[in-house]
Amino acid sequence: MTSKTNPPANFSHSGRTAVFCLAMLLGIVAVVLLARWVDVHPQVPVITSAEEELYVKATTAKRLSLAFNGLAADWYWMRSLQYVGRKALNFQNSNPGQMSLNDLGNLNLRILSPLLRLSTTLDPQFIAPYQYGAMILPTFDSNEAISLLNYGIEHNPDQWRLYQHLGYVYWQRQDFQKSAEIYAAGGKLPNAPGWMSEMGARMTLEAGSREGARQMYQHLYQESNDEFVKQMLLRRLLQVDSFDQRDIIRRVLDAYSSKTGHCPAAWKDVAPVLRLQFRLEANTGAPLDPAGTPYVLVKNGCDVDLDPRSQVPYR
Amino acid sequence: MSQNIVANTAPLTRDELAAQTNTSTVSRIATIAANAFREAVRDRVLYNLVLFVLLLTAGAIFLGELSDGQEAKIIVDLGLSAILLFGVFIAIFVGVGLVQKEIERRTIYAVLSKPIGRGEFLLGKYLGLCLTLLVNVAVMGAGVSLALLYVKRGWDPLIVSIWPAVLLIYLELAILTAVALLFSSFSSPALSALLTFFIFIAGHFSADLKTFAASLGGAAARWFFTGLYYVLPNFSNYSLITPAAHGYTPNAFALIIALLYAILYAGVVLAAGTLIFNQRNFK
Repeated sequence: MTSKTNPPANFSHSGRTAVFCLAMLLGIVAVVLLARWVDVHPQVPVITSAEEELYVKATTAKRLSLAFNGLAADWYWMRSLQYVGRKALNFQNSNPGQMSLNDLGNLNLRILSPLLRLSTTLDPQFIAPYQYGAMILPTFDSNEAISLLNYGIEHNPDQWRLYQHLGYVYWQRQDFQKSAEIYAAGGKLPNAPGWMSEMGARMTLEAGSREGARQMYQHLYQESNDEFVKQMLLRRLLQVDSFDQRDIIRRVLDAYSSKTGHCPAAWKDVAPVLRLQFRLEANTGAPLDPAGTPYVLVKNGCDVDLDPRSQVPYR
Repeated sequence: MSQNIVANTAPLTRDELAAQTNTSTVSRIATIAANAFREAVRDRVLYNLVLFVLLLTAGAIFLGELSDGQEAKIIVDLGLSAILLFGVFIAIFVGVGLVQKEIERRTIYAVLSKPIGRGEFLLGKYLGLCLTLLVNVAVMGAGVSLALLYVKRGWDPLIVSIWPAVLLIYLELAILTAVALLFSSFSSPALSALLTFFIFIAGHFSADLKTFAASLGGAAARWFFTGLYYVLPNFSNYSLITPAAHGYTPNAFALIIALLYAILYAGVVLAAGTLIFNQRNFK
């Protein structure tokens, strides 16, 4: 009797379990499918942290963080990196090919400065945010970069790298006298490398010289840990090299027009001379810029310019 | 110890009982402390170490991608902050339950019927939790050092230079434990936890309290807030997490002063706790 009545009861229990498991499985699948659909068809405006307002003042955040101000500073530092990265990616996706690492004004990095301010107020000895700000902020707000670096120097007077970055910001503004003063002041610090004082002297003598710019970019490149910043500086170095190359090409073009009485119709006309100093494109004989893109002839072949597709910054 | 006392049915005074059991105050306190430590281990308090290890492992692996060359600093900030935070939770939630649990289980009657002073009982419980926190903090500190070894792929001065900061965190937790015991000696566990947490926060604001007192016009208010500044524990002297992440180490004198302050403060708080605990009627 028992053996006849129990099996149905057991069966119904295990059946119920199976139904529950199946329902759970179906539910999970449905949730995943629905989430995927919502990702593709967003029903509400997507507000990422990049667009959020910062509602905590830096000094208030420092008070509220108790003993955890260092950790909070790290958080805001990482958030500023993510913010710039996300903005750059979004811009690149919506404007393919128009992204310029040397002109980040298009990215509308509205809260980058407050983020860096928060990070450095929470931990004034944290050098990385100052260095990052010195490289990114001048592309759209050099006053804010100067203010941030002055705050950094005030709290870290022995950090020669902050002087280096401040000098660079003034140099970008073409305030060579101020830049020279700052390099000279940084060069006097105990651990500063010798080239800091040299840069100060060079800045005084040569103002905005190309060789001075090359050295400045090289030193900044060597000091930086940030890949984004390194890419920016690498492009600036390519630009300086490209200026030198274009001077040489112009001399070749001038020599050709002096000799023939007209400018070259195509690169092939001057290719034999250019081949001695440049890598040339196989088909057209056009010299390649430092990023590997062929230069273009402009003004009816009387002048040379960068190809708009080149990775070398135009300005 | 306890069997001897229970077996003796003659009405002896507490002093006579203590003499009979031939145990010193130190050994009685040590016994209670060892029991409190065992109880904490049995209650799986040290399980938080697993969570800590997971946190640090995840941090060490993922921070390299997010922090742009600042992994070591962030590991130190994250690790030492976690040591403090986990320690604060243990000090508060275990600390306020130390006495209360004995009362709820009614085991306190059995303990206090033996020749053990209430002060000894409280101090033993305190030292037991301090021992638990010491093990916890030491293992976590070692975890941070190992994580640094991993992220730096070898030796880094931070591996050693964080330890004074770890010691200061421990001293802060020792003070907080004493505060938790003080509150638990006269109030409910929930209220004790809340009050101890307030003290933790106020202790980190004490420098502001002093500035606030100095800025006040009225003499009475100034005296009140200056008094409050001295009465509350000054935890800002123990907050060396951020400087430690930059490789700063306090000198030996600063550590000795911090140790002395912690011993004095915890001693005063425990004395107050004993005073209140002595007044409680468990009948």
